[in-house]
Amino acid sequence: MSSGSHGERKPEAELGLLDATMIGMGAMIGAGIFVLTGLAAEIAGPAAIAVFALNGVVTAFTGLSYAELASAIPKSGGGYAFVREVFDDLSSFLMGWMLWFAYMIAGALYALGFAPNFLELLHVYGFAPAPDQVGAVALPLLDAAVPVSVGLAFTAVLLLVALNAASTAASGSVETIFTLVKVGILVVFVAFGALSPMFSTAEFQPLFPADGGAFAILPAMGLTFIAFEGYDLITTVTEEVENPRENIPKAIFLSLAVTVVVYLAVVTVAVGTLGAQGLAEAGEAGIAQAATEFMPTGLPVIQNGGAIIVFGAVFSTLTALNAVVIASSRVAFSMGREGQLLPSIGQLHHRFGTPFVAILASAVVMLGSVALPTKSAGNMSSLFFLLSFIVVNGAVIRLRRERPDMKRPYEMPYYPVPPILGIVLNLVLTGVLVWYLVRTDPLALALSVGWILLGGLAYLGLNRWRSRGETSDSGPPETTADAVPQEDD
Amino acid sequence: MTQDLNVIIVGGGRVGFQTTDILADRGHDITVVERDPEVCDAIADEYVATIIQGDATDPAILEQADVERADVIAGLTASTGVNLAVCLEAKEMNGDDLRTIARVERLGGEEYTRFVDGVVFPERAGARMAANEIIGGDVVSISDVTETLDIMQVRVAEGAPAANKRLSNVNFPTGAIVISDDDGERIAGPETTLDPGKRYVVAVEPDVAEEVMNLLRG
Repeated sequence: MSSGSHGERKPEAELGLLDATMIGMGAMIGAGIFVLTGLAAEIAGPAAIAVFALNGVVTAFTGLSYAELASAIPKSGGGYAFVREVFDDLSSFLMGWMLWFAYMIAGALYALGFAPNFLELLHVYGFAPAPDQVGAVALPLLDAAVPVSVGLAFTAVLLLVALNAASTAASGSVETIFTLVKVGILVVFVAFGALSPMFSTAEFQPLFPADGGAFAILPAMGLTFIAFEGYDLITTVTEEVENPRENIPKAIFLSLAVTVVVYLAVVTVAVGTLGAQGLAEAGEAGIAQAATEFMPTGLPVIQNGGAIIVFGAVFSTLTALNAVVIASSRVAFSMGREGQLLPSIGQLHHRFGTPFVAILASAVVMLGSVALPTKSAGNMSSLFFLLSFIVVNGAVIRLRRERPDMKRPYEMPYYPVPPILGIVLNLVLTGVLVWYLVRTDPLALALSVGWILLGGLAYLGLNRWRSRGETSDSGPPETTADAVPQEDD
Repeated sequence: MTQDLNVIIVGGGRVGFQTTDILADRGHDITVVERDPEVCDAIADEYVATIIQGDATDPAILEQADVERADVIAGLTASTGVNLAVCLEAKEMNGDDLRTIARVERLGGEEYTRFVDGVVFPERAGARMAANEIIGGDVVSISDVTETLDIMQVRVAEGAPAANKRLSNVNFPTGAIVISDDDGERIAGPETTLDPGKRYVVAVEPDVAEEVMNLLRG
């Protein structure tokens, strides 16, 4: 087969295994670990370490499914594109609808994580009082005055939406640098933390909280599940990766493995230094606060060593927010292209060349969700990622049964064990999370159910609208715009 | 049409693969059905299409290409018989919504249009490109949108009979029309001058092509 004969292929940039791995790691590492470690410690105590390890294991099964689907279905749309290929109209619509929501709520989560860390950064340099003194985030739905951090989160979303609406996204090589910065900062955190005197007297007992025992880690797993969301972004750039059928599965597993290692080191150090109790009190800024405790002070230029970590948290949450603004609009865009949302959502803006309407539509939900408490946002996005991962695992099984002769450049080992385990484990976490929401966060649950119901209505409405459009006019015929052979003269 | 088409290409050889490549570049969703495992591997490496490995004349194989959801099927193997068979087979599975295209082995496969919506004879298009290259850049066939009518870009030669003449003063044979003004900036009119060295798009019927070439190229 001729290899260099397609001069018109658009994304010609060739990403290697390293770049692809970095995209996955870049999407996973960062916001989740910075924002949610404190909240996980609040639920599970020192067992937060086990929470992250077990989530890595659960996600690995779905990772196998993603790898197989990505190798067999050459589409850059990620999870929605695969499911669209395999399932009928309604199922694939719901999958896209859920995944879209998951990314949008994740956007709100990262924005909410950005705000306190940004305030902490200002605080380190004395520009602002400590975060907990800057208008506590108490019942924002009832509070007339907008708390400062919510305002900050809102502004962050607004800025990144504007950026992505007006220009096309940064390329993979920039992503690699971003990821290296993030991982580098976490390595600094782990190194200084492990050497600090606080860590030598680390207290990991009792491992599990008194109320609930070992099962207490389950809701914490549900909450932090989103920290492992992101490797699926590798499959959204498959076309640009060289030798994709080998490198995509490798990149998925490599990024998952390295991420688990990094998380374990970070959480161990955080629990070891600040203690589970202290972490829980620091909440979204847990890692940053732990760092300010043990990092050396009096350094040139940056003064306080902890500022590096706080900067890492600010940087990570912003880049993660940027990634999900892109990811959410891509899901909406593909749904528009497939005729599963309004066609205008599936169109590029004539001037900016961006999926403008898709970005705006996503922005509306993101901006609205910034008013949610951070924990609710974490729970909701985790819930919807869990649901969509169940569908992805189901897609593998269905595709194997219905299209046995489909070419699968990567076939997962021990089929059908991994997708079945993936479905069962994700279902368990979904169940635990829903049960947890019923007891502690009915608002998040109501909003989740509401979104699915809204999806059902949108689906019915769109079908009615489409069938009316089809009877009145059959659409203009496709115009074939063949380029006239150009000759230099 | 703003939405992408779901296309099934039967036969992933040279014609099938190039077609897949072009359509994938334009954003359509392609499924290739191909018998040869090695060819399947090669297409998989290019990452442009979903691939079903097997003999498309076997309904159990063709079904896996998701015929129900397809908009178009194109039989592009080297065998006219196989191409017609898969088109008819797919039509039977899908119903009237499916467009069918069959590659034929010789010129003038019009009799097949009773069974399929379109026929292609890719060797002819290839031959046209080869002819373009052989002649050089002075006469370029542009496309094949019409049955036999040829639309081409011709550079007026120095010293050709029509060179430096106004269009109203040149008597082109019936069955030929000059479409564009010099270098394709506007539509030609009676006052258009045929400057040597410049290019004009002309449409010609095959029987007068030679005369037109004579006038423009000398």
